[in-house]
Amino acid sequence: MKTKKLKIHHQDFILHPSGALYWCNTDMLLIADVHLGKITHFRKHGVAVPSNAIQDNFDALDAVTSYFKPKVICFLGDLFHSYMNTEWLLFKDWTVKQEAKIVLIVGNHDVINPSKYEELQVHLSDEWLIGSILLTHHPEKRDNFFTICGHIHPGVQLQGLGRQYVRVPCFHKSVNQLVIPAFGTFTGTYCIPPTINEEIFAITENEVIEINFE
Amino acid sequence: MNRKDLFNIAETWFNKQSWKPFPFQKETWNAFLQGKHGLLNAPTGSGKTYALWIAIVLQYIKNTPDYQKKPAKGLKAIWITPLRSLSVEIKQSTERFVQEIGIPFTIGIRSGDTSQKERAAQKRNMPDLLITTPESLQLLLASKGYDKTFKNVIAVVNDEWHELIGSKRGVQMELALSRLKTISPAIRIWGISATIGNLSQAREVLLGSHADTLQNSVLVKANIKKKITVRSIIPKKMDTFPWRGHLGIHLLEDVFPIIQQSKTTLLFTNTRAQCEIWFQKLLEKYPELAGEIAMHHGSINKETRLWVEQAIRNETLKAVVCTSSLDLGVDFTPVESIIQIGGPKGIARFLQRAGRSGHQPGKESIIYFLPTHAIELIEASALQKAVKNNIVEDRIPYLNSFDVLVQYLISLAVSDGFYPKTIFPEIKSTFCFQTITEEQYVWILNFITKGSQSLNAYDEYKKVEIESDGRFKVNSRAVAMRHRLQIGTIVSDAVLTVKYLKGGFLGSIEEWFVSKLSPGDVFTFAGRNLELFRIKNMQVLVKKSKKKTAKVPSWMGGRMTFSAQMSTLLREELYSVSDQKSVNSVVIKPLSKELKALAPIFIKQRKESIVPGPDQFLIETFKSREGYHAVFYPFEGRFVHEALGSLLAYRISLLTPITFSIAFNDYGFELLSDQEIDMQQVLDNNLFTKEYLNNDLQKSLNATEMARRKFRDIAVIAGLVFTGYPNKLIKSKHLQSSSQLLFSVFNDYEPDNLLLRQAFIETFEHQLEEGRLIEALERIESQNIVWKQCKNPTPFSFPIITDRLREKLSSEKLADRIKRMTAQLEKL
Repeated sequence: MKTKKLKIHHQDFILHPSGALYWCNTDMLLIADVHLGKITHFRKHGVAVPSNAIQDNFDALDAVTSYFKPKVICFLGDLFHSYMNTEWLLFKDWTVKQEAKIVLIVGNHDVINPSKYEELQVHLSDEWLIGSILLTHHPEKRDNFFTICGHIHPGVQLQGLGRQYVRVPCFHKSVNQLVIPAFGTFTGTYCIPPTINEEIFAITENEVIEINFE
Repeated sequence: MNRKDLFNIAETWFNKQSWKPFPFQKETWNAFLQGKHGLLNAPTGSGKTYALWIAIVLQYIKNTPDYQKKPAKGLKAIWITPLRSLSVEIKQSTERFVQEIGIPFTIGIRSGDTSQKERAAQKRNMPDLLITTPESLQLLLASKGYDKTFKNVIAVVNDEWHELIGSKRGVQMELALSRLKTISPAIRIWGISATIGNLSQAREVLLGSHADTLQNSVLVKANIKKKITVRSIIPKKMDTFPWRGHLGIHLLEDVFPIIQQSKTTLLFTNTRAQCEIWFQKLLEKYPELAGEIAMHHGSINKETRLWVEQAIRNETLKAVVCTSSLDLGVDFTPVESIIQIGGPKGIARFLQRAGRSGHQPGKESIIYFLPTHAIELIEASALQKAVKNNIVEDRIPYLNSFDVLVQYLISLAVSDGFYPKTIFPEIKSTFCFQTITEEQYVWILNFITKGSQSLNAYDEYKKVEIESDGRFKVNSRAVAMRHRLQIGTIVSDAVLTVKYLKGGFLGSIEEWFVSKLSPGDVFTFAGRNLELFRIKNMQVLVKKSKKKTAKVPSWMGGRMTFSAQMSTLLREELYSVSDQKSVNSVVIKPLSKELKALAPIFIKQRKESIVPGPDQFLIETFKSREGYHAVFYPFEGRFVHEALGSLLAYRISLLTPITFSIAFNDYGFELLSDQEIDMQQVLDNNLFTKEYLNNDLQKSLNATEMARRKFRDIAVIAGLVFTGYPNKLIKSKHLQSSSQLLFSVFNDYEPDNLLLRQAFIETFEHQLEEGRLIEALERIESQNIVWKQCKNPTPFSFPIITDRLREKLSSEKLADRIKRMTAQLEKL
């Protein structure tokens, strides 16, 4: 497993190939756009997405939390894809196992009643300011702050010699903002071409790779 | 009334029009009256409609002695046409006959264009004859009490059956017919087909394998021969003629005299983009044509298209630039000349287009072939031969299209519900599903009821429910509505409507093209230069623009391949100019003038390489700024080359970690890499062997993800991807996903899924044409491989290496590849 270290506003971060971001100084794991319940939501409406893909989200969550063993797990929005369904029970089982404190920054997909989260001791917030770091769901520019967010499901289109193209999910860092990739298994990517002064870190199964620009 | 009296009615009517029935018409009447099913092989404009319609009416007269009285309520016959635009003409012809012999029949049309109000009226009171499309028929099967609607139907006619047989719309019809056979006991099933290579198979597909209907059927042939003249437009100066380029504009000047000489000329282009450009260029160069030329393609709005069609009939147009949108349909008597711009890829298509001119019986059809690049002249030469020797392609029917079956079963569940035991034998009697196993059927039933093959405690899957008496039924109104909106097997990209800011509908355009434009950009559409104002509510709002330069939308879809017959002919033409042949001193036939004109190209080709002969397989390698190129020339058509390219790339990648970008056209394919390919190793390891072909192809396919594209259509047809409500902004909340994403999830988590497997099988049978691939490999094995190491690209290689649409194959780890790649910075 090859991770990547990053320094932002004198804080240390580790980029993980799963798409999660670990903030060393606060011992916090940041995860965006898991979209739990999406598969079940589709199935409920007659679209037969394979149900055994559901478990993978939880396996991936387990893997990354046992890797970093954080004190806090902060979801940067879109934790649940839609309205309440049976995947909630799996999520409940998962939260019970966690020793870390769980926080959810509410995203546009998070429509489930907040009291349900409180029952599981998941704390809800619209945003979270820690020092000069701003944690949100939607990308946002705020003076003197560095934003870490999700929502976009960033991806990058790469090209090589011999007219090769490949599209991979990535961390997309600009001067004052870091957008982290979608964590969920049944989620797509949206490609944004980088501009100068930006940094792109592509994620593959086992490795985080910094991308060079043309 | 006996047969003689009945025939008398028909012949009297013919005499009144001063016509005489053709033998094939009488033969059809006879067979129909004997209670037979059948397939009629007759070209358009030959009187095929009267062959069948009169038979149906005579049968009605036979059954109904007081036939001139108002008929009993209810549907009596169904006429299926693949093209909505044909229905009006069929209505006119059929109405004319019944009116003139005094039968008060009502004849109705039901298609996507029929208003809601009219459809509801039809529901209450069906016309005697319903002219409809396969999709609308399927929708009728998805409505309550459909069995009563079809109870007294005596005939179903499948017009233009050759158009349906090689598509999933054909499968849709096969399933609908299997149901009609049960619910309409007196039904007779007929098809009308133009000449195709596999006519007797076409009859089997129509009537079902091993079915009684097939036993009790006939094949009637009209045997009408048409004289067709093919003239190639040969560029005067070959050395300035491009090696590649798909527009053909440089021959504009040669086209003008043809237009002037004929009453009306149709110019057929292969793509809508090409159509737009040709129309523009013609007007620019010959402003005097303004008002006398028009354009016709599938994205232009219906009113304009109908206006153009009418104008052709009225002789008010000199020329129409069009696409396959005018391949079929209405008769255009004034059309005197046809110009085919660029290779038509298939003989049948070429003949069909040729037949659009000189439409009256006995007249000759004239078609001009305009090559868009040099090598296409070989195609012209091959087409000449095909026309002369009357060679036509087969239409390959689909087998085991489970996506269509899923859609059909849900349709039945939406209407009155179905009992699996009753439906299974019907399905199995169709050609498409003749080999379906009970296991597969159970799989499909589980798929639509449980969404998987095993029950899961947490699962909330809901679509088709099994009621206590064993009936499969959709009870959710939302599911039923979504399903009805999605019935059909033609899957197209998301399209937006193009409208003037001030109002006025121009047509529709694919979303992905518009997404590349920003407000203020100018693009050409429907022959006008338009400025994008904004995109709102799935509408593209535009203003007229005076700017000269504009982007031309290139519509997706339709990259056609050479048919097997076409590529055989093409190879023969090419061999006739090879160096090898002169050595072998076979009888030297005089070269066609197309090939003679190509002499300068062949000289250039010989400078670096050779023109291969029948015993030679040519490989060229060279290096350029882009990397290392290896070009192979099997001359088998682009689909076979796509497969061969992937196969070879895969086999090379087993020897060494390497990544290829693969390009292909109808003549050959190219492997391009950033590393040099060890060609000697390729030859030493006999990488063209047909051993392990299937296995190797499977693996190379996984890598190149061809099946992923096939899955797109399958996912939509089987209802896995919901394409939204027509003209409604609100897409189903939280239910959007791409077929790409679904493919990945199925591939990772449910590799045995029948719909996923179907994507692979379709790739093999329809895309890769595995049978042809094996033949190609056998041929290569028997040939001597000639490997030329060139300094520069040859004329043969040029069209291939400049192709931008590519596949890729890699045996390297993703991480290793990414490290050598870069991302393109956004242009600010």
